[in-house]
Amino acid sequence: MSATTWGWLVLAFPLAGTLVSALGFRRLPGRSAGWVGTGAIALSFVASIGALIALQGHAPEHRELVSSLWSYASSVGIDAKVSILVDPLSVFMILTVTGVSTLIHLYSISYMEGDRGFVRYFAYLNFFVLSMLLLVLAGNFLLLIVGWAFVGAASYLLISFWYRRTTATRAGIKAFVINVVGDVGLVLGTYFIFKHTGTLDLLGSFHAVSNAAHPAFGHATNDGDLVAGCVLLLVGAFAKSAQIPLHTWLPDAMEGPTPVSSLIHAATMVTAGVYLIARMHPLFERAPAAQDVGAIVGAATLLIAGTIGLAQTDIKRVIAYSTMSQIGYMIMGVSVGAYAAGLFHLMTHAFFKALLFMAAGSIIGAMAGEQSLDRMGGFRRALPFTYASFVIGGLALSGIPPFSGFFSKDEILLVTGERGGWHWALYVVGYLGALLTAIYTFRLIFRAFHGEPVAEAQELEAGHVHHAEHPTNPATGEVEDTDVGFPGPVHAIAERALPMRVAMGLLAVGAIGAGLIQIPKVDFVIDDFLRPTFADSHLYEPHTRNGLLALGLILGTVIGLAGIALAYRIWVARPGTASALRSAVPGGRALYRLFLNKWYFDELIDALVVRPVGMLGRFSRDSFERLFVQDTLVGGTTGVVRAGSAAVRAAQSGFVRYYAALLVLGVAGVGFYFLLQT
Amino acid sequence: MPPLSILIWLPAALGLLGALSSLARGARDTGEEAGWTLPGALALLGALGALGLAIGYIADFHIGSTKLQHVTDVMWVKELGIHYKLGVSGLNVFLVGLTALLFAAAVLAANLRRWQRPGLFFFHFMLAESAVLGAFLAQDLALFVAFFDLMLIPFYFMVGGWGADRGEVTRVRATLKFVIYTFVGSLLMLAAAIATGVLSAQEGGGHITFALGEIRSSALGSGTQDWIFLFFAAAFLVKMPAFPLHGWMPDGYRAMPIEVLMVFSGVLSKVGAYGFLAIVLPLFPGAAVHFQTLMLVIALASILYGSVQAFSQTDARLVAGYSSVAQLGFITLGIFALNGKGAQGALLQMVNHGLVVAPLLFIIGVLARRADGSEDIRDMGGIATRAPVFASLFLIVSLATLAMPGSSNFVGEFLILLGAFQAKLAIAIIAFTGVVLASVYALRLFIRSVHNRVGAKVSSRDISIADGAVLVPVVLVILFMALYPQLALKRSEKAVQTSVYVAASDSGAHPEGQCPKPGRDVLGCLTPGPSSQSTQTAGTQVLGTGEPPETPEEGAVGE
Repeated sequence: MSATTWGWLVLAFPLAGTLVSALGFRRLPGRSAGWVGTGAIALSFVASIGALIALQGHAPEHRELVSSLWSYASSVGIDAKVSILVDPLSVFMILTVTGVSTLIHLYSISYMEGDRGFVRYFAYLNFFVLSMLLLVLAGNFLLLIVGWAFVGAASYLLISFWYRRTTATRAGIKAFVINVVGDVGLVLGTYFIFKHTGTLDLLGSFHAVSNAAHPAFGHATNDGDLVAGCVLLLVGAFAKSAQIPLHTWLPDAMEGPTPVSSLIHAATMVTAGVYLIARMHPLFERAPAAQDVGAIVGAATLLIAGTIGLAQTDIKRVIAYSTMSQIGYMIMGVSVGAYAAGLFHLMTHAFFKALLFMAAGSIIGAMAGEQSLDRMGGFRRALPFTYASFVIGGLALSGIPPFSGFFSKDEILLVTGERGGWHWALYVVGYLGALLTAIYTFRLIFRAFHGEPVAEAQELEAGHVHHAEHPTNPATGEVEDTDVGFPGPVHAIAERALPMRVAMGLLAVGAIGAGLIQIPKVDFVIDDFLRPTFADSHLYEPHTRNGLLALGLILGTVIGLAGIALAYRIWVARPGTASALRSAVPGGRALYRLFLNKWYFDELIDALVVRPVGMLGRFSRDSFERLFVQDTLVGGTTGVVRAGSAAVRAAQSGFVRYYAALLVLGVAGVGFYFLLQT
Repeated sequence: MPPLSILIWLPAALGLLGALSSLARGARDTGEEAGWTLPGALALLGALGALGLAIGYIADFHIGSTKLQHVTDVMWVKELGIHYKLGVSGLNVFLVGLTALLFAAAVLAANLRRWQRPGLFFFHFMLAESAVLGAFLAQDLALFVAFFDLMLIPFYFMVGGWGADRGEVTRVRATLKFVIYTFVGSLLMLAAAIATGVLSAQEGGGHITFALGEIRSSALGSGTQDWIFLFFAAAFLVKMPAFPLHGWMPDGYRAMPIEVLMVFSGVLSKVGAYGFLAIVLPLFPGAAVHFQTLMLVIALASILYGSVQAFSQTDARLVAGYSSVAQLGFITLGIFALNGKGAQGALLQMVNHGLVVAPLLFIIGVLARRADGSEDIRDMGGIATRAPVFASLFLIVSLATLAMPGSSNFVGEFLILLGAFQAKLAIAIIAFTGVVLASVYALRLFIRSVHNRVGAKVSSRDISIADGAVLVPVVLVILFMALYPQLALKRSEKAVQTSVYVAASDSGAHPEGQCPKPGRDVLGCLTPGPSSQSTQTAGTQVLGTGEPPETPEEGAVGE
C-alpha cells in the first residue's frame, strides 16, 4: 500500500472508533467501549508504522506525497480538496500522537472504569485523536483549520466532561473561546498568505514563496503580507499551545479527567502550535520578523510558566505550567530554526509528560479526588510504582542525563546558541528555565511522596483506599453531582490496575530511553528522518561547534542536578525553608504572590476584555436596545397609526383592511406619480 | 421536471384544500387530543411534495450553464410589461431547496401540536411557502414584489391569530410593529420597482418591461440609481433584519409560534439577502459601489450589535434572534464585498444559516417543554444526562451555528470574510470579532440549557420519536453539507459571479492588469474579456467594461 493509503487509514480508525462509541452508546456493554477506543487508536498506530515504512521506501527527495478524496470547496478562485500530505514531518507527528494516545486510552480504561459517562468519554477521546491526526495530516490550509478547530472542540467536550460542575463548564467555554481566538488568527493568517501566494494548498504555497524565478517573490524577506500572515499564524499557535498571553485556559483545563490532561499536554493539542511553525517553515524563514516574535514569546513563556510552577499547590496545575514552559522551549526552538530539536523535544516531552500526568492521576485517586499538594505527603511507600514513575518522569523533565529530556532540551538550546547575536539571551533564559524546571518538579515529588505519610497514605499502606464521605468541589464547595460524575469517585490507582501499569511502564521506557536515538556526535535518527521535509531550509542542522556542545551538555547536567539539590534542601532537608526565604529575601513575599497569582494574567484579561464586553452587553440589552424595541423611537409612528386606526389594535381583520388600504393607496400614489411623469 | 408553477402553487393548493375540508365539516376546533388533523396532513403532503420537487430541481441542475433553467414565461400584464416569469438559476436553486426543507420540517413540527382553527392555520402556513418559493423563483421584478408582499400577509395572520402573549409583549403589539416596519419597507420597494421599470424604459427607449435581464437600468442616471438602491436596501434590510432596522424583531420573535418562527427566521430573512444578490447588484451596480461602505458598516454594526445582544439576552428565542441579526450581517458583508468570494460565501451562508437557525428554534421549543414552558435560559439546565440524543443533536447545531471549521457555515464565513478582506481589510478584521463572540453566545446557550445543574422546574427526558423526525433529517443535511459544501458551491459559482460581475469591476476591487500573476487565478482576480465585445453601449458611465450578464464565461474565475 502506498503511504497515503496508510495515511487515510490512520484517520479512518479513530473515526470508526468515534462512530461506534457515539452511535452504540446504549448497546456497548461494560468496558467494551474502552477496548474499542483503544483498539482504534492502536490500529491507527499500526497504520502510522505502515505509512512510515511505505514512505521510507521512496527516495528522500520524493517523500512528499499528497492524496485527495473529494473536492471540498473549489469555487471563485479558492481550491481546497479533502487532501492529506504525507511527508516525514507528518509521519513523525502521527507516530507520536497515535503511540502516546494508545497508551493514554489504555490507562483510561481503568481510570474511567466506574464513570457513568464511560462510553461518551471514549467517543470524545477518539474524536480528539482524530482531530489531531487530521490537523497534522491536512494537505491544505482549510483542512488544517478544520483539524485545528476540531481539536479545540474536542478539548472543550473533554474539559467540561463532568458538565454538572460549574467550574468544568466555565473552564470548557474559556478554553473554547480562547481557541477560537486562535482560530481567527489562523484564518486571518491564511488570508494574508493566500494573498501572497494565491493558493490554499500547503505545498503549493511553499513552492510559491520559494520560487525565486518569480519577480514578485525572489529572495526578499520580511514582505509585509508574509510577516503579517506568519505573525497571525503564531497567534493561532500561541492559543493552541498555551503561550503567553493566550495560555490562561490551560491550567483551568485541569477540570477534565486526568487522562485527558495527559492527552492534551502530551500527545495532542498543545503540540499543535509547534507542528504549525515547523510545517510552515518555508514561510517563516522568509519572515524572520515573525520568527523572532515566536522565539521571544516562547522564551518568555518558558520562564514565566516556570516561576508560576514554583508557587502552585494543585498537583495537576504544577504539571500544567510545566507543560507551558516546555512548549515554550519547543516554540522557541522551531522559531530559531531548531526544527529537528524542537520536534525531538516534542516527542520526548510527550513520553514523560504523559507519564507524569498518569502518575498524578494515580495519586489523586489515592487522595479521593483531592489535588492540593498541601494535603499530600509521604506516599513513597504506599504508592511505590507511582513514585518510581514520577521520579523517572521528573528526571526526564529536569533534563538529567541520560534521560530523554536531557538530549532534546539541550539540543534546542545548542542550536539557539549557534544562531549567535541576541539569541544568546534566549540561550541564557533557556538554562534559567531549566533550573526552575528542576526545582518545581522535585518540589512536587518531595512534597507528595516524601515526609510524613498523611492519613490517606497511611490508610493505603494498611490496604484501604480513602473515600470522601460527601465529595465537594474544592473550588466552589458545592456538593458533587453523582448523576454525571466528578473527579475521583473511582479511586483508580496504578498499583491496583494492570492497564494503568502497562501504559505507565511503556511510557517510562520511552522517558528513559527515547533520548538515545539522537545523541550529539553519535546518532542522528530524527535529523536524518526529517531532513526531506526541511530540505529547503537554510537553518536546518547548522554546524555545531564542539566547545558549545560540551558547554551545553555540562551546563545542562549541572543545572539540572543543582535544581534537584536545591529542592531537596528546601523541602526535604529543612522544611520551612520556603517560607523563611519568602520573608528573608527583600520583595520575596511580593514575588511569591506574583507567582501564586500566575502573574495576574487572568485578572488582566478579565479586566481588559471579559468585563468590558460583559458590561457592554448588559448596557446594550438594558438601555440601548430600548431605543429600538420600546416605543421611544418607533413610538411616533406607532402612535400615529394607533390614533388613525382603532381597529388595528382590536382584531386581525383590522390589519388586513389597513394593510390592503395602505397598499392600494401607495400603489395608486406611486402609479399616479409616474403617470404624471410620462 | 414539471413546470415551476406546480412547485410554487402545490403547497397553497393543498393548504386551501385543507381549509375547505375543515369548512365543509364545519369544525372550528378539532377534538381535544393533539395529533393529526386533515388540514395538517394535507399541508404536510404539500410540503413534502414541494420538497421532492425541489430536490429534483437540485439534482437536475445543469452546472455548466448560466442560463435560466426550467423557465416559465407568460405575459401577465401586457400594458405594463409584467411577465409571469419563473426560472431556476444558481442563485436560487439551493434557496428553493432550503425553503422546501424547512417548511416540511416546520409543518411536521406544527402537526405535533394542536391548533385552534387548524384549517385556517395550515392554509396560511402553506400560502407562506408558496409566496416564498415564488419570490425566490420570480424572474420579473414586479412578480418578485408581488410575491414579496404576498408572503407577509400569512405571517401577519399567524402572528396575530396564533401568536402568544408574553408579558409585556402582546401579540398585538408585535404584529403592529411588524406591520409598520415591513409595510414601510414594502412600499419603498414597490415604488423603487415601479420606478426602475418605468424610468429605465423612458431613458433607455423601448417599452416598459419588468423582466429581469431585460430591464435597461444602466440607462438610469446615477442619482436615480442611488435613490432606487436605497429604497430597495431599506426593504431588504428590514426583512433581514439588520441593525438599526431590527426594532420589530424581538417582539416578533417572542410572539410568533415557534413552528412559524422556524420558517420565518430560516427562510424569510434570506429573501432580503437574495434580493440584494439577484436584483440590486445586477441592476444597480453603480449604486452598489457608491454605497458599498455604508452597507459594509451596516453589516458590521449588525454583526457586532447582534452578537453582543445574543450573549446578553436570557430569553432563548432572543439569543437565536439576535444571532440571526449577526449572521445576516455576515451575509450582507459578503454581498457588499462586491467580489466573487464574498458573494459566493454569502449565498452559501444563506443556506447554512437557514439550516441551523430552524433546528435551533425547534430545539428551544423542545427545551421549553422540559422547563415548564419557560424559554428563559435561567430556568433551564442539566438535561443532557437524561437526554443524550437530544443533547448531541443540539451540540451539532450549536457548533454549526458558531461556524466551527468543519461545518459548512465555516466555509461560507471563510469566503465571506476573505471577500471582505480583499475589499476592505479593516472592516474584515473588525468583523472577526463577531466570529469570537459567536462562540460565546452559541456555547452559552448550549451550556446553560443542557449542562450545569438541573434547573428548578426542569423535567429531563429525551426527545420523542416525533420530535426526532423533525430534527434528525435537518441535522443530517447539516452534516452532509459539512462534508460536501462543494455541492452548493459548484452549482452557484457562475451565477454568483454573473451577479456581482459589473459591480466588482466597477468597485475597482480587481481592475484589469492588477492580477499579480496573469494566467493564474490569484485572489479571484477577474480578468474581464475584451471590452470591445461588450454589447452594452448605453450608460457607459456605469457599465464601461461590463459584459452581458448571460455570458460571464469570459469573466469567470477559477477556470
